Amino acid sequence: MNNVKIKSKNLNVYYGEKQALFDVNLDLNEKEVTALIGPSGCGKSTFIRCINRMNDVIDICKVSGNIEIDGVEINDKNLDVVSLRERVGMVFQKPNPFPKSIYDNISYGPKIHGKGETKSELDEIVENSLKKAALWEEVKDRLDEPGTGLSGGQQQRLCIARAISVNPEVILMDEPCSALDPIATAKIEELIDELKKTYTIVIVTHSMAQAVRVSQKTGFFHLGKLIEVGKTEKIFKNPDNKMTQDYITGRFG
Amino acid sequence: MNFVLIFLITIFSLSLFFYGRSKTKSISIEKNIKLNALPKFYGYYLVLWCSIPSLVFLLIWTLFEPVIIKSIIIETAANQGAIFNDKNEANLIYEKIKAIYAGTYFGDIDTILKESALSYAKFINLFTNSKIVLIFGIVIASVIYSLKKIKNNNKARDDVEVILKGLLFASSLIAILTTLGIIFSLLFESIKFFSVINIFDYLFGTNWSPQRAFVSDASAITAAEYDELKDAFGFIPLIAGTSFIAFIAMLVAVPIGLFSGIYMAEYASVKIRRISKPIIEILAGIPTVVYGFFAALTVGPFFRQIGENLGLTVSSESALAAGLIMGIMIIPYVSSLSDDVINSVPQSLRDGSYAVGATKSETIKKVVIPAALPGIIGSVLLAVSRAIGETMIVVMAAGLAANLTINPLESTTTITTQIVMILVGDQEFDSPKTQSAFALGLTLFIATLVLNYIAQRAVKKYREKYD
Repeated sequence: MNNVKIKSKNLNVYYGEKQALFDVNLDLNEKEVTALIGPSGCGKSTFIRCINRMNDVIDICKVSGNIEIDGVEINDKNLDVVSLRERVGMVFQKPNPFPKSIYDNISYGPKIHGKGETKSELDEIVENSLKKAALWEEVKDRLDEPGTGLSGGQQQRLCIARAISVNPEVILMDEPCSALDPIATAKIEELIDELKKTYTIVIVTHSMAQAVRVSQKTGFFHLGKLIEVGKTEKIFKNPDNKMTQDYITGRFG
Repeated sequence: MNFVLIFLITIFSLSLFFYGRSKTKSISIEKNIKLNALPKFYGYYLVLWCSIPSLVFLLIWTLFEPVIIKSIIIETAANQGAIFNDKNEANLIYEKIKAIYAGTYFGDIDTILKESALSYAKFINLFTNSKIVLIFGIVIASVIYSLKKIKNNNKARDDVEVILKGLLFASSLIAILTTLGIIFSLLFESIKFFSVINIFDYLFGTNWSPQRAFVSDASAITAAEYDELKDAFGFIPLIAGTSFIAFIAMLVAVPIGLFSGIYMAEYASVKIRRISKPIIEILAGIPTVVYGFFAALTVGPFFRQIGENLGLTVSSESALAAGLIMGIMIIPYVSSLSDDVINSVPQSLRDGSYAVGATKSETIKKVVIPAALPGIIGSVLLAVSRAIGETMIVVMAAGLAANLTINPLESTTTITTQIVMILVGDQEFDSPKTQSAFALGLTLFIATLVLNYIAQRAVKKYREKYD
């Protein structure tokens, strides 16, 4: 068992009047893939958006409770969100490359954090990030072409490379394959397998098969509550909770 | 008379709506058949058939009636021995006849005029009566036709669609034809101008003073006269003045408009946005003449005062005052449009930027603005074309003398100002001075057309990317 990297304690989230998460207590292990499953609107995405404080962007969203990364509280007004997001990268449901060149898409993050001061350092970061995202071979000859011109799967790997470029510790993935075809999905899953050697990964997915394939730990959410969490194998073979059983066998959701 | 007719046709058509609706309902019950459309469509069908042919006929008749009567009357007058040498004299006699008929003529009435007036009255009567008869004929014919159709359970829904489509097409045709008409009239008058003044002398001349351009006979200009003339119609000072004032205006409008657009789109809370956006847009609703006297009476003298204090000579009608006020007028165009394009940059791009740790202003500067740039450029170009076409402010505040200068404190003039100056007051329509207004208008039109085209292309290119 790996060390605990992220720890949430009594996490509650409200969107205006509506409560989206109820007392979520969830530990995420270092250098492991944790999958979050559950029906739409159950709070999976809301949960991972708390880990890099993306919910700050939404005016009406209020978060209470604790989230610790390496034992340090991050749900703190005085916390520097910029350096938090440098440590916790995110990949979104729909590939969202900037309308800039492939090179600029990757170098964007490092430039913001003042990394890669010389051109050659920056070149190296771009190359490494693209290699880690398994995209280098496909785009190395056209780094100055727009990132929006790539295929859907390539765009998503570009976004993964963009997340990697600032050298984070955690990568959050919010249904990263839901807009992709099976072949592109397979490539991303392969990539996730590779990335977990370096990074702590949290993935939200609607595909149970994907959760089984990529994750070591799975958490099941329902109506804003964490119903059950455990080793992926156990959750899918022998869940403790009846509701989990019903969901993974497709009886609701 | 026409109003009464239109009123009657309208009332009759409307009553036909209810008749058609209930009639088809009862037909469907009586014969136990399924109607091809909802009963109301049969009502619409009758209304359209009753009103459109008769109203179109009325319109055409009204347009042509005076022309036909006039030619008949002039001919009868000539037959009775009236003497006129050209068209103008003929028109004069016709006007006299009309005035006699209306009872507002107080000169001597000779037999020719009297006879003509009598026959005028006769024709007016004849035309009015036949108009009424024909319109009733048309109404009756089209109503009978359409009633027959609906009794046979025609596909009224489709038929109504076809008629409405035709109606809409006709409206857009009118708009297009009017535009074409304006363009051609500009073009023809400009061609007359360019047949006198060489187009290169116009485009590259550096002296504009059309008031010098007196010619005794426009159809026969001597070489010596032309040498005088060509110096009077140099376009360069006008385009320089226009661009200069527009440039000053853009210096004011682009930064302020763009920044307030960014604030509205990215920072303002819903509440602030809801209040302040309409307020900014009010700026665009202020009549330009109000801006004009603000520029001429307040800002211009204010600048001159400051200039005097600093020991500078500032003309009270300065390019600076006009450009500044014009810039303020244009702010809402820039801010409103750039607010819209910034808003339509997808949230996912901002999320992507925040997720790697960018701050809000970094995200705006490096992701949002570049993504919205084509649209922003489009809005700026639209603002430029608004600036160079703006008239009232520059007429009041920019001055009339065509100085070729780049000193913003001096007075300068614009294309629009000169068009106004040329066409105000009495005109001889065959003098190059008057015709030069059309040449200026054409040039201005082409300039704004090109700008608008580029702007719309830019905006469109932007839309394709994100929709």
